[in-house]
Amino acid sequence: MRSSPPSGANLLGTTRAALAAYRVGLASSLAAWPVLLGRAIFYGVCLTVLTAFWDKVGAARLAGTLATRLPPGGLGVYIGVTEWITLSVTPIQLRLEDDIRSGALEPHLLRPKPYLAQTIATEAGNMTARLGMIALGALLILTVSGRVWPSPLALAFVGVLGVIGGFIGILLYCLVGLSAFWLRKVLPPLLIMQKLMFLLGGLFAPISLYPPALRALAEASPFAAHLGFAGLQIIAPSASAFCFALALQAFWILALSGLIALAWRAGLKRTLQGVV
Amino acid sequence: MGVASTYVAQQRAAIRTSFADRANFGLQVGGMAVNNGFWLVLWWLFFAGFRQVGGWVLSDVARLLGVVYVIFGASGAFFGGYRDMAGAILRGELDAYLTQPKPVLSRMLARDSIPSSWGDVGTGLIILAFSARLDLAGVGLVVAAIVIGMVAWLATTISFGSLAFWFAGARSLSRDLADFTLMIATYPSSIYTGWAKIAAFTVLPAGFVGMAPVTLVREPSPQAAAVAIGGALGLSVVATLLFSLGLSRYRKGAAPGS
Repeated sequence: MRSSPPSGANLLGTTRAALAAYRVGLASSLAAWPVLLGRAIFYGVCLTVLTAFWDKVGAARLAGTLATRLPPGGLGVYIGVTEWITLSVTPIQLRLEDDIRSGALEPHLLRPKPYLAQTIATEAGNMTARLGMIALGALLILTVSGRVWPSPLALAFVGVLGVIGGFIGILLYCLVGLSAFWLRKVLPPLLIMQKLMFLLGGLFAPISLYPPALRALAEASPFAAHLGFAGLQIIAPSASAFCFALALQAFWILALSGLIALAWRAGLKRTLQGVV
Repeated sequence: MGVASTYVAQQRAAIRTSFADRANFGLQVGGMAVNNGFWLVLWWLFFAGFRQVGGWVLSDVARLLGVVYVIFGASGAFFGGYRDMAGAILRGELDAYLTQPKPVLSRMLARDSIPSSWGDVGTGLIILAFSARLDLAGVGLVVAAIVIGMVAWLATTISFGSLAFWFAGARSLSRDLADFTLMIATYPSSIYTGWAKIAAFTVLPAGFVGMAPVTLVREPSPQAAAVAIGGALGLSVVATLLFSLGLSRYRKGAAPGS
């Protein structure tokens, strides 16, 4: 693996390698279809528990509390969207942790294809299979649950923002994985990242329910671009909010890619110096 | 050496290894404390907005969190090999244990001690000290609840990890199953009715990890003790069976995931 980003001359080769890795990831996930099916069932169980929580909160409708601001149909579909993305993102941090800490990274450095781009592309392929399978499960659950269906436009917005949000999730977890250059185990940064997803991503509650300052902070973070914006399209679908979310997602893909490149270079330097 | 003394010796070595890199150890413990603080802040924000859920208020959730953090932390510190059991199976790391005379499962559990787990134990104890208002009998009940919850949690994660004997993609799935079980173990038990309750006591047995042990602390009774202990024992039987079946398959040469 090169320690520097690909130059213009070999960008085409890098893209080809990434596309091939994406296809490998997609095919390997589809081949393990029983696990995909198990994940879809797991998604259904998650929804059962989490919607029970919010249905209980919404049923109380206590005066003077935020319960009165919950949507009439509850947060079941909103949770369905955020969990769809969450459970589709693959644990790239585990692979990076393993390779970095076990020394399995070094053989890749001798090869002409970029290790990190290929790893991210493989995980994106895995994620695509999960997104498809869980989406099918989600639509089935929505049909049998008797809950009100979102409008087709809202579903289209959710589909686009959800897929891009999933890719942002891979980039976030990639940063966590690269922390293995400095930490023996990536569990603590992983858990902190997950909690930020709960708090700022809207995984715990929609960020539209937050006080204005916290909502602004959440919207400016990559976590809303990862999860929250797709979920909000279920509560209040709007073309302008969709465009705003797309712009922020594009910004965060660029910003996170830059951060990953920086972390990779710094980490690789440590590896080549024998510090890791 | 007996099984127990082998376990203790191996685990002591794992703990010493986890302490060896002091800076890394401190970072991991601190990171976990921050993580736990986040979760408490989330619940604080929730109750600031919604006041209560099914009769549970912030102090009830804080006590639940305290117990669950200590369960999770003590499991990681003293039985840390459970955390990536599926990964170890898929990497073929069982082979070395199969050539040795001691039981495979105990060797796998003792192979690691997770440094960040001490952060869980610490924050759990601090939360309990501030939220539980315990007398001596109460302390005894909390200790019993933690031991029961640990048995239930370890049994649950061993069952999830054993999926790797059958499925190649089980590493990620078993982690997600374990993480989600842990997460819903920190939700107020008052939310569980109908299908959610069935799920929380069967496929994702968070009910036996957090809810039943904490009920024993909140409302001690022979019935609460029977549910908590019975659940933990039942899960242990399932975990032992699943692991034994998988190991028997592995011994016969079936590659993990095939």
